[in-house]
Amino acid sequence: MKKEMYDYGFALLLTLVGLYALTNFYSYMDQYEVAILVGSVAGFSYMGIQWNRFKYFFIASFTLAFLSIFLYQGDLGQSESNFFLKYILSSQSAIMWMTALFPLALLIYWFYLFVKQEFYGSLATFMVWAASIFATAGLLIRWFESYLVDLDVGHIPVSNLYEVFVLFCLIASLIYLFYEEKLQTKKLGPFVLIVINAAVGFLLWYTLAKNADVIQPLVPALQSYWMKIHVPANFIGYGAFAVAAMVSVAYLLTGNGFWNRYLPPKEILDEMTYRLIAIGFIFFTIATILGAVWAAEAWGGYWSWDPKETWALIVWLNYAAWLHLRLIKGLRGNILAWWSIGGLLITTFCFLGVNLFLSGLHSYGEL
Amino acid sequence: MSSMRFAISMLSVVGLASIIGTVLQQNQPYESYIINFGQFWFELFEMLSLYNVYQATWFLLILFFLVASTSLCVSRNTPQVIKDIRRFQENIREESLKRNKYVSEISIKNFKKSDLVSLLKDMQFKVREKKINGEDDLIVAKKGDFQKLGYIFTHMAIIIISVGGLMDGNLVFKFKEAVGIKKIEMVDKPISEIAKKSWLETSNFSYRANMLLVEGESQDVGVIPVKDGYLIQDLPFSVALKDFKIEHYASGQPKSFESDLIVKNKKNGKVLNKKISVNKPLTVNGVTIYQSDFQDGGSKLNLNLIDLYSAEKPLAMKAAVFKHNILIVDDQKLNFEFEDFRLFNILDIGLEESKKPTNVGPNFRHKIRDVTGQAREYETYQHPMVIDGRYFFMSGMRNTPQEDYRYLRIPADAERSLEGFMVFKNLIRDRKKVTKATVEIARNSSEIKEVSRNLANNFQAIFDNFVSGGYNNIALNIDENVPDEKQEQVAGTYLKIIHLIADRLIVDFQNNNSTSSLFNFDDVSVFTQDALNGYSDSFFYGSNFWIELKDFEHIQASGLQLTKSPGQFWVYLGSIMLVLGIFCMIYIQEARLWIVRKKGSKKVTLAFASNREHLEFEKFVLDTKAKIKKFYLN
Ligand code: HEM
Repeated sequence: MKKEMYDYGFALLLTLVGLYALTNFYSYMDQYEVAILVGSVAGFSYMGIQWNRFKYFFIASFTLAFLSIFLYQGDLGQSESNFFLKYILSSQSAIMWMTALFPLALLIYWFYLFVKQEFYGSLATFMVWAASIFATAGLLIRWFESYLVDLDVGHIPVSNLYEVFVLFCLIASLIYLFYEEKLQTKKLGPFVLIVINAAVGFLLWYTLAKNADVIQPLVPALQSYWMKIHVPANFIGYGAFAVAAMVSVAYLLTGNGFWNRYLPPKEILDEMTYRLIAIGFIFFTIATILGAVWAAEAWGGYWSWDPKETWALIVWLNYAAWLHLRLIKGLRGNILAWWSIGGLLITTFCFLGVNLFLSGLHSYGEL
Repeated sequence: MSSMRFAISMLSVVGLASIIGTVLQQNQPYESYIINFGQFWFELFEMLSLYNVYQATWFLLILFFLVASTSLCVSRNTPQVIKDIRRFQENIREESLKRNKYVSEISIKNFKKSDLVSLLKDMQFKVREKKINGEDDLIVAKKGDFQKLGYIFTHMAIIIISVGGLMDGNLVFKFKEAVGIKKIEMVDKPISEIAKKSWLETSNFSYRANMLLVEGESQDVGVIPVKDGYLIQDLPFSVALKDFKIEHYASGQPKSFESDLIVKNKKNGKVLNKKISVNKPLTVNGVTIYQSDFQDGGSKLNLNLIDLYSAEKPLAMKAAVFKHNILIVDDQKLNFEFEDFRLFNILDIGLEESKKPTNVGPNFRHKIRDVTGQAREYETYQHPMVIDGRYFFMSGMRNTPQEDYRYLRIPADAERSLEGFMVFKNLIRDRKKVTKATVEIARNSSEIKEVSRNLANNFQAIFDNFVSGGYNNIALNIDENVPDEKQEQVAGTYLKIIHLIADRLIVDFQNNNSTSSLFNFDDVSVFTQDALNGYSDSFFYGSNFWIELKDFEHIQASGLQLTKSPGQFWVYLGSIMLVLGIFCMIYIQEARLWIVRKKGSKKVTLAFASNREHLEFEKFVLDTKAKIKKFYLN
């Protein structure tokens, strides 16, 4: 009974926030964006109801974001003068906190794995939650800041490599946290956090070496409501594939006497890999299709064999093959685990390599 | 061919071929491939159609096999799937139930058959009841049929998507080209001269054509680039461009491209006025018109050609982008070819540290081609730009398109115009004034007449040397006539002398033209130094003329794309089916349940089965069993 009260409360809260946004910013939105807003309220409410901790995560992130907006007082210059903005609540500092917390979580997870004291496991999990909250708040604040730069510059922060790397870290960690809770094991944290921290490393390098964190206006092709759906859907796919690959690493290690003492049983790892690839696959499919629909609207054709499109197809084919082997041939074991790790390489190339090495219509986040 | 192994190998080949297409940039001009790979590899790659992998016959063939294999797979498996969905497996034998992995027994007081059936129905099972051996009860229940339909959905979807894609491919043209009805045009020529063999009719089923439309003009055909040539696509309407607009962000980056179009139907003369922009296309008669890019449409430029090495009045030239102007200089015929004009140019410059993207105003590009056919390329900005806190007019030159531009910087005068430099270059080439200046400077340095006359002559010689070839000349001169160890010192002195004379010339000019404010600088000698540098660099500029842009009429051309894509509907339909299908396959738990109760027995036997028996299914079995147990406890 009590849980239900909270559930309704959460859904109500989200509805109110949604209504607030709708009444205040309606004139800036087109009908699709209204639909996206309504869909998001419904989707996040559902997630909160299904997953209790998501509620707290969501409320914490939004509270931080609103606090920041309040502190800004409509003036971007505040990020230099206001203490809280400067060190915690401007998007850049929030994201910096994220980049500090993830490595910390990694260290504590490994410590936990060998020491086996629940306290450290919980601490590491807490760190991941905190990092996720900072990532979410950072993105939300950045969204707001982009409007402070100029009203017509404002856009959802999923438009360049810097922003999507934060998104990647966030989504991968949420996916991991969900399964950690569901499968009641924190022993995969040490592995999953490796891939997240690799992304964090890239993000830091990219920020420092290339000043990538500057908010840039959108080129005309990106000015579409499609961006709000296509990019996040893609990154749920990427995130799930990345986590799956790390679970596969753990899978390959079990069976070795030493690691057996530390890792969950093989069946659980196998099942988890399948679940992750399945969910990644469905989102990646949707994202690729939406990408095609968007391309039809922006570039004049739903498929142009642009390098990004082509690599998305390759990633998709790869996981389709994986699913076939597992479901039809009933294949299990090391081959699939290696395959899923290889899948991460292909995915990484699609995500990053295409931007680094190939040129095409998609070259928005070049180095 | 319907085997999984075949399908997977085909998928791998598609994957590999696609990779080639992303690594080797597609549909580039063939010359650039020749330059990159050399003749041998170029020809080999061309033979394999690697420059248009995705249109290559072999690639389409593989796709075809993939579709065929999937179709076979679907047609072979579908009857079985449908049978499975219909079938309840009521005739299962007791022994095989006992061997079931998920079999268990529950103690009961009485069977409550009809209540049990409705409980199962509440749990989303489909239920069938039966007597076995004439007296025992069997209940067969199953759920999750959609999971199996998912297989049909996904695989049908793939077939539909591929067929949609093939509809929009160029198979029909490939066929017509092969039998000689159609031919790719390889030479750039006016549309009216293009042979009918290279035209595609309005009835053409599917195409993606381009159109470059100049403001105020109208066109009724599109151009389809194919391999190294192109085809002309006749359209069912004509398109006129009323206006093309680019909007910019405050920082100068482009914010939107908009074309104001008038589309007129060829058959019934109906006219449609509509604005399109990126992400907001327009569909007319099944053809969708997209804003894709833009270009100059032949802007008119009013130019002044200023001869850097003569005091004559500038030459006025009326030019237009894409047009050629011929000029005879020293009996040499020079062809001025104007290539582009841009109203906005965003560069990363600014005052001191605050470098950020800034609009530096219009520029134009032109080539100067001599009689031998050699051409240099130039890029000239209209307004001065701030560099190191001072204003310079900039014009870049390069000898080949592969090079970067090297910029000639001409300092702006105190009024930010070119005028000051023009005065300056006339002054330094004016023998009389230079002589006067050298004499005065020499007199100031020595009282003795003889010495000062000598000095003046020397000064004059150095200066002449500079005027006729810049610092480079001075360096050559020193190299020849001064011993190595003294060269540096002498060079320093020479530079000082040149600067001194130039300064003097400007001061004299100011004294004689007291109303002129051209040189009202805080420190005019900075200007003089920049002007000397500019003059000296001009000897590497490859042209006697600085071209000043007086004014212009900006004419733009909008790049449109015209797409007819009947396959799109099928691709989208297939996509929806694909997503639904995958969803069914992954998220619907397929399960069967048999419940047997021997006559009069105090026990029921439960047996579960599924085509996916993983952990999730085990959980489902436990849940279901718990519910049934609870049912019997009450
Ligand atoms: C273009 C080629 C193909 C693609 C992209 C493709 C894609 C898929 C996908 C996405 C699934 C769903 C996997 C899941 O449950 O998550 C699937 C399942 C399946 N595919 Fe394919 N497929 C292709 C060709 C084939 C061929 C040629 C066969 C024939 C042997 C085949 C047989 C199956 C079967 C039997 C299933 C699973 C049915 C089940 O166990 O429920 N597929 N396929």
